[in-house]
Formats: sequence, structure tokens, C-alpha cells
Amino acid sequence: MKIVPASDFSFEQLVDAYNQTRVDYVVPMPMNAARLQEYVRVYDVDLSRSVVALDGEVMLGLGLLGVRNGRSWITRLGVLPDGRRQGTGQALMDELLHQSDALTVDKVWLEVIKGNTPAHALFCKNGFTETRELIVARRAPNLKAEIPDDIHIKSVTPLDHEDAIILLSHRRKRPNWLNEIESFQHVKNLSALVVELLDGGRGWVTYHAGLLQLTRVSVEVTVGNPAEVTAAILHILHQRHKRQDTITENLLDDATWKGFKAAGYFEAFRRIEMKKPLVDS
Amino acid sequence: MKTILQIEDNLANKLLIERVLEPHPYRLLHAADGETGVALALDEKPDLILIDMGLPDIDGQTVVTLLKQIPDLENVPIVAVTAWPADTAEKMARRYGCDGCITKPIDVRQFPAKIAAFLEND
Repeated sequence: MKIVPASDFSFEQLVDAYNQTRVDYVVPMPMNAARLQEYVRVYDVDLSRSVVALDGEVMLGLGLLGVRNGRSWITRLGVLPDGRRQGTGQALMDELLHQSDALTVDKVWLEVIKGNTPAHALFCKNGFTETRELIVARRAPNLKAEIPDDIHIKSVTPLDHEDAIILLSHRRKRPNWLNEIESFQHVKNLSALVVELLDGGRGWVTYHAGLLQLTRVSVEVTVGNPAEVTAAILHILHQRHKRQDTITENLLDDATWKGFKAAGYFEAFRRIEMKKPLVDS
Repeated sequence: MKTILQIEDNLANKLLIERVLEPHPYRLLHAADGETGVALALDEKPDLILIDMGLPDIDGQTVVTLLKQIPDLENVPIVAVTAWPADTAEKMARRYGCDGCITKPIDVRQFPAKIAAFLEND
């Protein structure tokens, strides 16, 4: 088996291999080349430091490495069915950790889907420890969505991309890699709503409104009950975007999540965030 | 003859369903991604749509959302065929207004009867 940089391959080749790693996965998440390209761009994946395991010309597995200031992120690690039970996962991890070490990052991050026991065991064996659980949530569209009568709005101020980025830079809790400010800076056309309620509650939501989907929904409550104000903000958002399906990734399991649920969101699955300090760096 | 549109990116799953339904008098159409699936649904107006929730270009849920908003297709039953855990799959199907949910791996003995029942209810 040899390990080579992912940059030696086209997006089509990488996505073909990646989809094969996920054929029997706990949560099927196929991609196409365009989606993978977007993923690489938004999440600062460095393909020259990402890896592919080969047996001759046959791909056995792959793992991507995101790189940001002082930290790296292992993502989309997977082994094809033919590459399993021969140490492929460990060989990929060794090289991704070696690449991180060479970058002199302080910490390496990753997420594993809750319930993916073999992957979780591999990461624990490699010195990763759990930091928190993250929720991937969805909300089906509701063409009849209206704002509940008990929500009394004082004002709603729509903002553009630049202002949305400013709002996101003021979040109080540490966001996960997917939701870090660097990710949002790579996304085009974010929108935001700043909401004030008559009872004094205040907060904002940032989001990306596509033709079919709302994505990257992020809510911050600045004044008031986090669950209630979150729910109010989201009801206002969805009253304006009734037709779109919504997915939002890596929410924290906190009071705000209660507000998401009150606004019609449900948990699709959970990820476990893990980190490994690189003490030698 | 009833027409069934299968939106499924996994070739093995596509072939399995084709094989299981082969003895039955259905016209089977196939799309390997969401965009092609929506286009075929609009062109062919099938009697039943079977959709994998994990598609490479657009999430299956989003495809269902779109199909449900097209007046010509509003009465076409949509059944999620998914590898998600059963409880999540059912919740997902219900929330997105699917008419049913079949989890993978499909039970090849029961599958034709389930399909017949969805078509009967149509």
C-alpha cells in the first residue's frame, strides 16, 4: 500500500472513490464532483496535504485535511470495501497526522457520526478525545407557515452578506469547523435578519437562501430567553422562505436547539466532535 | 401499464429493484441524481416515485420538497427508499410528506407487495 497526495487525482476520481467508501455507511452522504469542489473551497481543504491510499493503481481509501491558522481538520476519511481490514484507515490517519505535524498546528479536529463505532475507535486509538456532540437538523418546508400569535415583533432588519459576516464574528460560543467564520467568508450571498421583539427579546439569524434550500442557518440570541427568542427568529425566517427545505449542520445541544425544535426542526443525526493536541508542535 | 420512477444513485440498488420488479407489469424509469429525477418526473408523470434520500447532487429531501410543489405531480405518491436507521427514515419521510418509507436493504419478498399497495392507493 502506498499513500499519495489527493491532489494527484481529479475531483471526479476522488468523488467516485469517496462515494464507494460510503456505500454501506451509517448515514449515506454521496457527493458529486461539483459538491466536493465546493466542500474543498469552503472548508479550506488542502488537497496537496490530503491523502489517498493505493494498492497499485486501485484506490483503497482517502482522507481530506482542512488547514486553517494553527489548526487542521480531518474530514471525509473513508475506506473502500476492498480496502478494509488491512490497516488502510490507520495508514491514512498516520499520514494526515504527519501532515498536520509538519504544519506545526496546535490541534487537529475531526467529527465522527454518532454510532460509527469503528471510526470512533480508530480516532480514540490515535489520541483524539471527545469535545462535544453536534446536531445535524432539517426542517421540511411549510407553505402555510405563519408567525404564531404569541410572537410580537418590534422590528425585523434584513442585512446583506458583509453585515452577516460581522454578526457571525460576534458569536459567543466556539463554532465547529463547518461554521467557523472562515467557512462563512467563503460562502457567497449570505443573508441575515436582526430581530427585535416587543418583550425586549433580541437576536439575529444568518443563512444562505438557495432556490431550493436554506442552509448555514446560524442563530444568536443577544437578549431574552434563548429558546423562545430562537424560535421567534426562526418562525420569522421561515415565514419569509416558505418553499425551501432547510438543513443546518453542527448545532450545539443547548437551549437554542429547543428553539430550533419549536420552529419545526428535527434531528437527522449527531456527530461527535473530537480533538487531538499536537504537543510537540 | 403503471410507470415507476426510481431516483437512485447506487447502481447495485437500482439493479436489485429492477430485478425484483421485473416479473411485474410495470414500466420502470431510472434517474441517477436529483436533477435528472425531477426532469424525468416532469416529462413522464410517473404513477409512483421511489427516491433514495442520499443523492449526489441534491439531497433527496430537497428533491421531494420540489416535487411536492409541482401541481402536475401533487398526486403522485413518493416513497423514500433509504439506508437511514428505520426510526430516522420514517420521521424523515413523514416530515417531508412522503407517502411511505422503505428501508434498505430491501426485503425482496415483501417489496413487490409494498409497491403494489402504494400504486393501489394512488
